[in-house]
Amino acid sequence: MSDVTIPRHMGINWIGLGTIIRREWSRVWRVPIQAFLAPWISALMFIFIFGFVVGGNIRLIAGHRYVEFVLPGVLMLNVVNAAFLQSTSQIYFQRFLRYIEETLVAPLSYVEMIIGSLTMTIVRSVVTALGILAIGVAFHATHMYNIFEFLFWIISVSIVFGLLGIIIALWANNFEQLTMLNVFFIAPLSFVGGVFNTVSMLPPWLKWLAYANPFFYFINGLRDSMIGFDEAPPYLGMSVALALIAVLGLVTWRLFKIGYGLRE
Amino acid sequence: MTVPAINIEHLRKAYRTGTVAVQDLSMQVQPGDFFGFLGPNGAGKSTTIHCITGIATVTSGKIEIFGVDAVKNYREARRLIGLSPQEFNVDTFATVTQIVDWMGGYFGMNAAQRKSRVDMLIQRFDLTAHAKKQFRELSGGLKRRVILARALVHDPKLLILDEPTAGVDVELRLDLWRYLQELNAEGKTILLTSHYLEEIERLCKTIAVIAGGKIVRQGPKEDFFTVPGGLEKAYLEATGHKVEHAAAGAA
Repeated sequence: MSDVTIPRHMGINWIGLGTIIRREWSRVWRVPIQAFLAPWISALMFIFIFGFVVGGNIRLIAGHRYVEFVLPGVLMLNVVNAAFLQSTSQIYFQRFLRYIEETLVAPLSYVEMIIGSLTMTIVRSVVTALGILAIGVAFHATHMYNIFEFLFWIISVSIVFGLLGIIIALWANNFEQLTMLNVFFIAPLSFVGGVFNTVSMLPPWLKWLAYANPFFYFINGLRDSMIGFDEAPPYLGMSVALALIAVLGLVTWRLFKIGYGLRE
Repeated sequence: MTVPAINIEHLRKAYRTGTVAVQDLSMQVQPGDFFGFLGPNGAGKSTTIHCITGIATVTSGKIEIFGVDAVKNYREARRLIGLSPQEFNVDTFATVTQIVDWMGGYFGMNAAQRKSRVDMLIQRFDLTAHAKKQFRELSGGLKRRVILARALVHDPKLLILDEPTAGVDVELRLDLWRYLQELNAEGKTILLTSHYLEEIERLCKTIAVIAGGKIVRQGPKEDFFTVPGGLEKAYLEATGHKVEHAAAGAA
């Protein structure tokens, strides 16, 4: 066996890459309630509260019922959460239990290791998103304006937070550090990123914060894809997402190359 | 000229903390050798192994595996090596079959190759009854067998065993010794670290002693038995310990 060259097409160890994905698939299916059911139940609660309890007392926003306006933001929060949790947990547990060494001693490139981790992150995010979308459609809380734009936002945002999760998991030395970014950065920025309100509702001195906040573009883009309402040019948001992927991807690749948090 | 299985030249490994674990280490392991790598705790054995296998970065120096640069051409070098590490580094919730199968996958083995090889190794290491158990459910000895099966799944030319018999019972140790001798007889190069001198004496053809991050003595096994006291005395002298301690311990 060792004399046989590893089968590679386009320079990629596809079987090795597929094995990382298989391993992570198996790991996610050890916690299906936490991975999939929890965000779906959470979305159902949002639909119930904003659709039937609070929503009836709030006027239409840009011609849309409040539940229709809020649901894309809720869906985005769950996608961000799924992507970040998936990527931080997979890298951190590999480091914590040291089975990251299995891949370090194998003939896998850094790019294959990163893509393997990101693939399962995307799968988990897409399944989470499609589940919430199905619940929303079933309860007449949303519809689909542009499926391709919807998929672009789900996949690109899951890559952004998948990469961010990998970087944090490489840096973290304990479980508390692992949650710091979520508590101090992701949660606050996502809530002021227009989940519950339009930019025009903000006081003028606070509007700059919305436009400087990447979450605003993510939520705005997803809202456009679902109900056709947006407050910023879609291509500007897409450019922000792609630029973040490029920068974070480069940083992640560099960290893998120097072995930061991976190799002794 | 024969290409060495392992060729290390002036290896230096300094950690980010500033600790120098290996300094100016040079050694060669010939193809087909059963190479004993001895040294006290903290001498640099595991660090050297980690540098060879890619678990640790190399600060300076050169490592070649069968002539392949282990840093510049790391993917080609790593496919030649199977590692059984000192500590269990597995997903403890994965089953025995998954652990061995996934490692075959990382090395690019297709499903049919993996199936045949995994089945053979699980049978060989008497793990059939435990194949579907999670790693965390196994006893220490069974865990060690899984780690060894995982190291062998891609049938590497070079097998590196870092204290493979630590904490295992006598039966497994004897069985493992027989199996390693069979593998070596078939042509596999083996590098073995152990604190059991009896194990090194029984299995190895060449011995190197490392202390303070440097090789302090290396040669054929027979060279360590030219004076009374044998390997134990030679080892203690090489590592700078007083030989009277050994005598007192023996008494």
